[in-house]
Amino acid sequence: MAQVVLKDVVKNYGSVYAVNHVSLTVNDGEFVALVGPSGCGKTTTLNLIAGLIPISDGTIVIGEREVTRLDPKDRDIAMVFQNYALYPNKTVFNNLAFPLQMRKQPRETIEEKVKAAAKVLDITHLLERKPRELSGGQQQRVALGRALVRDPAVFLMDEPLSNLDAKLRVQMRSEIKRFHHNLNATVVYVTHDQLEAVTMADKMAVMNGGFLQQYDTPAQVFANPVNTFVASFVGSPAMSLIPLQVVTHGTDVALQSAEGWELPLSPENARKALSAKGKDVVLGARHSTLKLHKAPHPGAVPGRVYTVEPTGDVTFAQVFIAEAVVNISVEPTVMLDPDEQVWIEFDQSRLHLFDGETTMALSAR
Amino acid sequence: MTSATGPAAMSSASTRAPSRRASLGQRIWTQRADYLYVLPALVVMLIVIAYPVYYTIELSFFKTPTSLQLKDKIFVGLENYTTILTSGSFWQVTWQTLIWTFFSTLFAFLLGLGAALALHGEFVGRGVLRALLLIPWVVSAVAASYVWKWLYHSDFGAIGALLVQLGLTDQPINFIDNRSTALASLIVVNVWKEFSFAMIMLMAGLQTVPEQLLRAARVDGASPWQRFWHVTFPHLAGVSTVTVLLLTVQNFNSFIIPWIMTGGGPAGASDIWITQIYQLAFGRQRWGVAAAYSVLLFLIMMVLGYFYVRALTRGDDARAGA
Ligand SMILES: Nc1ncnc2c1ncn2[C@@H]1O[C@H](COP(=O)(O)OP(=O)(O)OP(=O)(O)O)[C@@H](O)[C@H]1O
Ligand SMILES: [Mg+2]
Repeated sequence: MAQVVLKDVVKNYGSVYAVNHVSLTVNDGEFVALVGPSGCGKTTTLNLIAGLIPISDGTIVIGEREVTRLDPKDRDIAMVFQNYALYPNKTVFNNLAFPLQMRKQPRETIEEKVKAAAKVLDITHLLERKPRELSGGQQQRVALGRALVRDPAVFLMDEPLSNLDAKLRVQMRSEIKRFHHNLNATVVYVTHDQLEAVTMADKMAVMNGGFLQQYDTPAQVFANPVNTFVASFVGSPAMSLIPLQVVTHGTDVALQSAEGWELPLSPENARKALSAKGKDVVLGARHSTLKLHKAPHPGAVPGRVYTVEPTGDVTFAQVFIAEAVVNISVEPTVMLDPDEQVWIEFDQSRLHLFDGETTMALSAR
Repeated sequence: MTSATGPAAMSSASTRAPSRRASLGQRIWTQRADYLYVLPALVVMLIVIAYPVYYTIELSFFKTPTSLQLKDKIFVGLENYTTILTSGSFWQVTWQTLIWTFFSTLFAFLLGLGAALALHGEFVGRGVLRALLLIPWVVSAVAASYVWKWLYHSDFGAIGALLVQLGLTDQPINFIDNRSTALASLIVVNVWKEFSFAMIMLMAGLQTVPEQLLRAARVDGASPWQRFWHVTFPHLAGVSTVTVLLLTVQNFNSFIIPWIMTGGGPAGASDIWITQIYQLAFGRQRWGVAAAYSVLLFLIMMVLGYFYVRALTRGDDARAGA
């Protein structure tokens, strides 16, 4: 096992920067999830670590070695691909044996290791089958097994669960997690599903447009998103963002909407709001921190119900506040009608403020 | 559909799908529109294919002495077939046909594969090279045969002159007028003519090799050659089978190149089945024997055709079964 260090890694196709000056360190034994919307450069980053595509600039270190210019086979990595990439004409046994055969290991060793990996993944009874005779989950396990047999320094996984149905995905999620735990393996895991990242990873790296936005534990990313992009990407439903203006009345600071209502800020939030470059501030709040009132309430701002989505345990309501759509969860007993007038109360200790110009989170300092 | 195949088809269908109990007649009736649509094509096929085939089979049991008119032919049973199978030249021609077919197919395929692999990578001039390599395939076989005949010519041929100039031989080689080199020389021309067909087929196949599989193999530590052997080549198995079968059929049936370049000579050294049949029929007017020969060829083609159709539809079956 080993650490992975990316330093100022760049990959560009002409003027398109798929990966733009990304630096991050994956510590030994850590499970890191690379997340971000489609096209943000996750796969490219992973392929750069694997050495499958030539790097434009920067350095990559795996373990103690710089591997920037090394061939994939010399990097001591194993990779699990999105559509498994099993060799269709080989049996499961030979799929698992392939990386060992390529490394000229003795026959008995290969047999031993393949059997051991198959046992761990519970695919011993499938060893003589061809990949097309397996279900999606079984193929997934074989793909994991092929990565596992070699005992590599780092596991790279590119959306390994995205082809599975929802139920199997949840099951495989915990299996991969346990697999990581048992092996104490270093894993870099690409997914566009932030829930997968939050539930599985020790740390998550949120990417957008080739840039690394934030790299921290899921809890930190969730609690303290560095900018509006991360705020709106992590969490389900996403954090609601309302663009507002800072106004001051003597020492009192409030946020004002175009409609004219004002939301007074606590002293700490006031200091944050005043540190913005201009008057534009984005107010962020997660659905669970908001309180919905059916009648005017001190400190609550007016909104209009847009849609109501009962899910059983909770009901999610989307409410227009100052022309922004805000997600709120309410008790399933609360009855709401579209276009109904409601009042929303913010929890001052749990709301987020972002600079309207730079989109960066504001701090009280 | 005859009454003999009707019940057989029915029973196999009913064992698999008991719900489809409808009789064959009923099923045809429910799909009558479909049959109506293919009817014109079927009629044309019957006239231009089925009747000649029938007539050839009939003719193969008759003798047609040149003294008689064709309609007064004499029934001789299987005599034409025994004549063919017991003649000494039959086995020689068959052997030559096999050599011709085997080596033409083998080298056309290998050359096509090499060209396809070479053209698969990105490099400057790839489009031009591809167009150049396609020329043999689009050139008329008749024209190509005459050109090659001149290239091979013992006195004026460019190849002979080149070999002399290079000092490889003292005198120009008599390529196609020599019993020992005639067939090989024809095979060279044939390979040149049809390797681009294999190239096109395999190039199409190469584009469907999944990039992720090749990447997986790279991560697994496979060298370029191992990637070809373990990923690319198995992936090409289907298209290779079809290509080889098509080339085999085509070569077994080739006529233009051997006929124009040597006419089967010298002294039958480059005779293959088709040229032999042509000579028997149109040279010596032995229609009955030529017809019997054709029937034998037809049977062989049917076997190859069976494998061809099976190779083409195997993928469909697998997908339908999955
Ligand atoms: N070979 C290429 N040539 C040009 N641009 C490319 C190439 N490969 C990737 N890109 C671009 O690089 C960017 C990042 O691609 P990448 O495949 O890393 O995205 P991703 O984050 O994995 O997205 P997804 O979730 O859809 O898989 C995209 O904008 C893509 O269009
Ligand atoms: Mg991707």
